[in-house]
Amino acid sequence: MAVDKEELKKKILEYATKKAKFKSKMYIKDLYKADPNAKPREVKNAANELVKENKLEYFSSGSTTMYGVPGFGNPEQE
Amino acid sequence: MADLKKHDTPMVDELKKGPWSSFADDLQTRGDSGSQACLDLLGQLELSYKDKETHWKHGGIVGVFGYGGGVIGRYSDQPDKFPAIAAFHTLRINQPASKFYSTKFLRKLCDMWDHRGSGVFNFHGSTGDTVMIGTTTEQLEPIFFDLTHQFDMDLGGSGSNLRTPSCCIGRARCEFSCLDTQAICYDLTMTYQDELHRPAFPYKYKFKISGCPNDCVAAIARSCCAIIGTWRDEIRIDQKAVQAYVNGELKPNAGAFSDRDWGPFDIQKEVIDLCPSKCMYWDGKELKIDNRECTRCMHCINVMPEALRPGLDVGATILSGAKAPILEGAQMSTLIIPFMRMEYPYDEIKELTDLIWDWWMEEGRNRERLGELIQRKGLPTYLRIIKRKPIPQMVKEPRSNPYVFWKEEEVPGGWTRSLEEFRKKHLA
Ligand code: SF4
Ligand code: SF4
Repeated sequence: MAVDKEELKKKILEYATKKAKFKSKMYIKDLYKADPNAKPREVKNAANELVKENKLEYFSSGSTTMYGVPGFGNPEQE
Repeated sequence: MADLKKHDTPMVDELKKGPWSSFADDLQTRGDSGSQACLDLLGQLELSYKDKETHWKHGGIVGVFGYGGGVIGRYSDQPDKFPAIAAFHTLRINQPASKFYSTKFLRKLCDMWDHRGSGVFNFHGSTGDTVMIGTTTEQLEPIFFDLTHQFDMDLGGSGSNLRTPSCCIGRARCEFSCLDTQAICYDLTMTYQDELHRPAFPYKYKFKISGCPNDCVAAIARSCCAIIGTWRDEIRIDQKAVQAYVNGELKPNAGAFSDRDWGPFDIQKEVIDLCPSKCMYWDGKELKIDNRECTRCMHCINVMPEALRPGLDVGATILSGAKAPILEGAQMSTLIIPFMRMEYPYDEIKELTDLIWDWWMEEGRNRERLGELIQRKGLPTYLRIIKRKPIPQMVKEPRSNPYVFWKEEEVPGGWTRSLEEFRKKHLA
């Protein structure tokens, strides 16, 4: 079932913001939980768009990439 | 230059003593000619040797707009001692297929990097990329602009992305190549731009393409999807040239081991007896190969390249799931498809890739490579996902488990049965 992208983005952002208070970095798999009906590819596309809109940000160790919410956690380290 | 600050680095200096040139020499030379960053790098390395701990922080939020890969954030955790490397990010640049450059291009690239970064390169990183080591956060966007506008180059993959596909030199220079490795590498790179630049997966995914089973890019040991050139017909034999090797007129291995006297070439000992499937025969006049038994190991062809050549009916062997040891130890990839025709637009490999990615994105755990997922779920599950039948080449050893597991669709009538029918024959 295809989900509405804007709707999905809203859900991801809500989920990530809620979670960021406890854990500032999330794996893409964590974001799948924002909407169990969405396919992994849809979540990935929506999350990457949120980064483009500066609502989420990437954190990369070089080997793995995680997502964060701007303003939470230390931008320089895990 | 007068205010260059040199650090005392006795342990790093040890590296300069061996017979081989060392990165420590290179960094020192550059540091002495005015790069404080290189001197600070050596200083921090010395401190790491002393403390037996890294002094780089782990990763960071750096990148260029719209990209989620290609830049690896590096910050020193001793910025007061080593201010020139307080922020010292790495950029991965997608190398041209088979790494062909003109010197003019390289000079221009060096000038740009001297201007905007440390001037230190790694040609090339083990993934295949051109690696630019060391710049500040402010320089990232200008570098990206220069790369894309002046050099026609793009960032490569890092993090949980598709990593920059890489290939051997292939038909451009190598007579063994059964594939146009560069064309395949380029096509996959262009097809999967989104996956390359934006994280999509539980962890990294790598394509590597070798033109023949010599596998010069070590695809079999390192990639999630190894595409290795092979042939289906017969090894081409030039019997006269075989004779010339036997008579000592041609040098075995094209003279590659001639730095030592190995005695006269012995075809029986050096070729026939070393064939892993024992499918070669030499009667003193004629070389015979039972091609049905040949495993395409390349040994005989490597030893006598003027006499033997791969066949003409060419394609690729596809293997899945190699990885380095994070979970479960290092693992070579597993043969999945013995022969796949590789012709533009390479639909078959792309269809396979879609099936693999959908499954891995759904089922893979955080930081779990495809090879580990296959290990966890079992090869039979993987084969079902990619819609392939098991073949004898996939069997590692005879099974020790005496049970046979059936799937419902394999059993006539499935799991449901009529109890009435059963009771007609069997009393309760
Ligand atoms: S892998 Fe084979 S085709 Fe490619 S460069 Fe090596 S020997 Fe040549
Ligand atoms: S390629 Fe290897 S297996 Fe095939 S004939 Fe030559 S030595 Fe034997």
